[in-house]
Amino acid sequence: MADHNVGFWGGRIPREVVNMAKHLKDLDKQLFRQILKAVVNALDDKECSGCMADIIEDNSLSEDKLSDIVSGMHELLREALRVPPSPVNKESFEQDLRELRIFEEFIADLSCIVFGYGRPALDASVTKHGPRLPKLETFRWRVDVAISTSSLSRALQPTILMQLTLFDGNLHQFEVSLSKFQELRYNVAHILKEMNDLEKRSVLQIKD
Amino acid sequence: MADAEAVKALSGLLNGIAQRVYYGNSEITEELLKDELYPDVPQEEFRALYEKMRGLLKSVAVADMDQTQLEAFLTAQTRKHGGGGTSAEQAAALARFWKGHRARVRESLLAQSRWEPALRGLSWRVDLQTATSRGQTSNSPVALVELELGRNGQDSEFVCLEFDDVKINQVLKKMAEIQESIDSIVHHS
Repeated sequence: MADHNVGFWGGRIPREVVNMAKHLKDLDKQLFRQILKAVVNALDDKECSGCMADIIEDNSLSEDKLSDIVSGMHELLREALRVPPSPVNKESFEQDLRELRIFEEFIADLSCIVFGYGRPALDASVTKHGPRLPKLETFRWRVDVAISTSSLSRALQPTILMQLTLFDGNLHQFEVSLSKFQELRYNVAHILKEMNDLEKRSVLQIKD
Repeated sequence: MADAEAVKALSGLLNGIAQRVYYGNSEITEELLKDELYPDVPQEEFRALYEKMRGLLKSVAVADMDQTQLEAFLTAQTRKHGGGGTSAEQAAALARFWKGHRARVRESLLAQSRWEPALRGLSWRVDLQTATSRGQTSNSPVALVELELGRNGQDSEFVCLEFDDVKINQVLKKMAEIQESIDSIVHHS
């Protein structure tokens, strides 16, 4: 397999990553971990300027070196996180880093971020911040029966009042007539069926 | 005026009134109806006829009369003597008209008492997410739903939402609860 392995980047390792590898040769392990943590926080959309400031203050690294390391690490992890965490990918990821003559210890740390236990949490955060439509947070409803109105003496017609609160903070309230309600219910059931069918099919199709 | 023509004109008048009053068609005016249906009738006479038919239709519509109620109502009207009485042809025209329009008129009257935006329609799409600029490929299906909402007589507003299958399932369960709640108050005959 090794002969056919085109590597994690298909032979074209990003310039930032190559630059980073050069600077990693004389980097203290403690400092490496500090920087890695800051970069992971940045990818996770967490606060990272605080720890970056600490790194700059405490260490003798030149600003150019530090920025090369940070941007290289960011690029490396960002690209690696796009790929599903399979054992094959892990191997080629580590192989590519070895070819850049990065210390085994550092490779293990990087690999642990991309393929380790923290991956699902990182994926979740990344998915949350991707482009998407708002999701439904709460769905409240009420069934009303209009008894009598200014235009109809005996209406006696049930209507459903629905209130949707979305995760983007918007709230939508609307009335649904009985016939529209049936249409809505039918369609929601239809969507669920389509999704279930799709899941069954993809389980069969997508295999490593 | 021949009988057949009188019947035709009456039914045209009732249709015109319904368009104007219940179906929100503002192109139909009283003048238009007079010019088209009763060109030779003096203005005042037409006005009286128009008001009478409009009043009758309103009484029938507000009470949402069924066949029996309508017959009783029309019988009482035709027995009235004097200027306000209803002729047999007028009663027959109204009965015929109501048979065909009852459901639609009722729907329009119900809509007149709705003030919240109503659900007009929905469209949806189920996607399989395969790749993103950041992050992994989850391969889980995503439902994109667009709800069309609008107040009576206003343009629609569109709300777009995204659901995973868990959320869709939850919504479907709520719908079953709503259905139960409706079934408990509506007695199907």
